[in-house]
Amino acid sequence: MAKKKRRGVSAMQEINMKPAMNLILILIPLLLTSMEAVRIAVINVSTPQIGPASEATPPDTRPEDRPLKLTIALTNRGITVFARDQVVENSDDPLGPTLPKIEGQEEDADGNMVNAMVYDIDKLREMLVDFKEANPAEENIIITAEPNIKFKDIVTIMDVSREMEDGERRRSLFPQVVLSAGVA
Amino acid sequence: MTEERKNYELIPENYEEEMLKRKKASKKSKGKISDSGDVNINSLMDILTILLVFLLKSYATDPINITPTADLELVRSTSLLQPEATVAVTVSKAAIVVDNRPVLVLKDGRVEASQKRGGEDGFFIIPLNRELVDAAERKRRLASVNPSVTFDGVCTIIMDGDTPYRLLTEIMYTAGQAEFQNFKFATISLES
Repeated sequence: MAKKKRRGVSAMQEINMKPAMNLILILIPLLLTSMEAVRIAVINVSTPQIGPASEATPPDTRPEDRPLKLTIALTNRGITVFARDQVVENSDDPLGPTLPKIEGQEEDADGNMVNAMVYDIDKLREMLVDFKEANPAEENIIITAEPNIKFKDIVTIMDVSREMEDGERRRSLFPQVVLSAGVA
Repeated sequence: MTEERKNYELIPENYEEEMLKRKKASKKSKGKISDSGDVNINSLMDILTILLVFLLKSYATDPINITPTADLELVRSTSLLQPEATVAVTVSKAAIVVDNRPVLVLKDGRVEASQKRGGEDGFFIIPLNRELVDAAERKRRLASVNPSVTFDGVCTIIMDGDTPYRLLTEIMYTAGQAEFQNFKFATISLES
């Protein structure tokens, strides 16, 4: 008698899970296909703001007192850096860009690495670190480029100018990016 | 009484041994198969439920949905900022799309002169501006009835890596005319 009772209870406890299983097995492939395999991140960028005329620097100010106004211009020949409205000159080639392109490798349309002239990212990073050490409060950087420069090159420059890895921690350089109209 | 005796007589001599064997056999089989012959799916259900919750969670938290195609190869970046739910302008090699509405077709990564105010040298893309003004208006109307929504003039640009800078400036200028001042460039995060 006691045995019978126990059996009855166990039969009650076993719920029919088959419909729930069917539902879950359909939902999982559906969600897996719609799920993104990559993680998306964003870069904040702003357009130049039109400021009042009083912000314009008087011409008689000493160069070191002027705002830094760090500007990176990307051209087909390389990177030209401006600081305090002055071009940072390349001592080897005063008329050329500050950091001419160097030989390196880049991805072609099929995703293969090919030899090509690429931007000198390491030198640019060193230069930006020097600027940051000289002006620790400065956070803005203006990036501009020639009309045919590709978007991926601009993002690379933004990555370099935003922060750098200093051992295990990241050091912020110039996180406020302003994109300006193209180089004439 | 006589029946009982008969039954008793039917019990074989090795009855106890037989019963012990049966008990052992039933103990062994208990863990694997239940009485009715069904497979025990409880542990499988646990795994599937956890997987389902995880998938639903990751599905719900992404405010922008991007499907990379051959025409839209996103750029990789070291940025860690999370995307937000804003007006999204998608620029692939073939077309410009605003919030899943096709706006105009691109030819060799350029907007046709007839679609721009000022012709070839113009920066103002007329159909894109119309769509963005509508999007801003929708957002503003939503903000007027729902205090948790604000129109902050932010626009997410999802752009193919090979897009020329010229097109980017045209899009930013056009968006600026529709009161979008701040932009977020969507990239693939290199950090895991």
